[in-house]
Amino acid sequence: MGWGLMSPALVVLFIMAIAPTVYLVYVSFRHENLLGPGSMFVGWQNFSRVLSNNENWSDALSTVEFVVLSVFFELGLGLGLALLLNRRLPESDLLTALFILPLGVAPVVSALVFRVLLDPAYGWIDYYLQTWGLIGDPIDWLGNPGTAWVAIVGLDVWQWTPFVTLILLAGLSGVPSEPKEAAIVDGAGPVLLFWHITLPFLRPFIAIAVVLRAIEAFKTFGSIFVLTTGGPGTSTEVINLDLYRIALQDFDIGAAAALGIVFLLFLSVIMTQLLGVLDRNTDILED
Amino acid sequence: MKSLATVLARLALWSALATTLFPILWMLLTSFKQPDISQALPPVWDFAPTWQNYRDVLTGNTYTSQVFGVLIVHTVIVTFASTLVGLVAAVPAAYALARLRFSGKRFAANWILTTIMFPPIVSVIPVFIFASRLGLTDTWPVLVIPYAAFSLPMMIWMLRSSIKQIPFEIEEAAMIDGASQADILRHIVLPLLTPGIVSASLLAGMMAWNEFLFALTLTRSAVKTAPVGISEFTNMYGTQWGTLSAAATVTVAPILVITILLRRRVVEGLTFGAVK
Repeated sequence: MGWGLMSPALVVLFIMAIAPTVYLVYVSFRHENLLGPGSMFVGWQNFSRVLSNNENWSDALSTVEFVVLSVFFELGLGLGLALLLNRRLPESDLLTALFILPLGVAPVVSALVFRVLLDPAYGWIDYYLQTWGLIGDPIDWLGNPGTAWVAIVGLDVWQWTPFVTLILLAGLSGVPSEPKEAAIVDGAGPVLLFWHITLPFLRPFIAIAVVLRAIEAFKTFGSIFVLTTGGPGTSTEVINLDLYRIALQDFDIGAAAALGIVFLLFLSVIMTQLLGVLDRNTDILED
Repeated sequence: MKSLATVLARLALWSALATTLFPILWMLLTSFKQPDISQALPPVWDFAPTWQNYRDVLTGNTYTSQVFGVLIVHTVIVTFASTLVGLVAAVPAAYALARLRFSGKRFAANWILTTIMFPPIVSVIPVFIFASRLGLTDTWPVLVIPYAAFSLPMMIWMLRSSIKQIPFEIEEAAMIDGASQADILRHIVLPLLTPGIVSASLLAGMMAWNEFLFALTLTRSAVKTAPVGISEFTNMYGTQWGTLSAAATVTVAPILVITILLRRRVVEGLTFGAVK
């Protein structure tokens, strides 16, 4: 009965998770290039090829940097906004309703809009920064590695900070007032209050927000693909874009499969850690 | 002192909001501008709005390979079909995980949750190869099944916790009155589950509507969706700012309207049930 009700879901997940993994493992031991001649067994050759390629390692590092930077800024800004919105100003509800709008914008659309806004010749961002005297010459944001990083992280932060804000705002609304009042009577200042009363109550919500954001950030493809295509050079190329290039532009399926397997193994280690974080801080994994 | 803090809080909130809305505002403004002022610097804020860009985008008076209105229709079909497939698979699975006892349940629940980590780029490679060998490239199933699969783990997870919140006593009473498992699911659980189903469907629908990688890789024209088509507005003829922003607005508007109208359900879906 139980497995019977589960079966439609398991069939769909089999098609999209198990079957692809099995095929990837199989093809990772073969020379398989959709453009070149025939396919043959080559042992560990694909793995040694992708693991000895420095580009793949620097892309892996970029991926981790992208996730850490994005989630860090989203948590910081999200916490700040949630605390401000929680002051229950008359306009708090209206503000919250408007703050969540980026969540509804397709990542590809926001990437295109950012690209146009960041244009050094016609973009509004350089124009207003110049007009207000914040910069001298226009900045070619997407033409330099450092500023291109600002752009891809900035885009992710713009799009997903509201997500973190919402979760933390829900957490804040559950913080009871009695311990706070008691602490104020005892002469605790706002910093102590936050550190010893608000933060412990928020911990499960911070854990949920960070874990869900980290998982999604590791999967980011469309927004970076549209905004920088991994450029300039390969400076903003995360592993997802690397895999796309190897598999769907070079058609080197064997190498892409080997790199994909390594990525999956890495992600399953990360996922175990993240689920551990959820398990220690929340009860959402309880049976 | 107290009022100074409030003033500073307001200042911070409103300036954060201005930054947040700025790209969306740019998109809306530019979509209503005549071509001759859409790229003008300093930016023109005061102008007579025109529907010309929207007419051009929806009727195909642009440099793109396909009429954008048709791509929107494709996107609508893919979104509804994949959400429906997702629901049909998720509701029974969520019920089984929430209510029934069977061996391997905990393992199944945990495994389903770990599949959310599975990056689409890794599954798109085999799907691309199989689809081209089976001649399925550019057909509905190559988008509908993957999109259903992407949102399935989260739908199951959300619905499972919604079902757990329905008091089991109601179901017990029905069982004592002789109702079958199917009757209980249909007449008792489903109606009480409606808010949860709406939230989960909104999450799945938004994912499908906005998806880019699979649509880019597996479609050519027959089922091409709006997120892929929109990037054609910046091409070798340069960027057509007016039509680009009109197409962007058309793509984003339905989701934004739903976000505003059904805010609580959207928030619940987006946060996978963490925010009720």
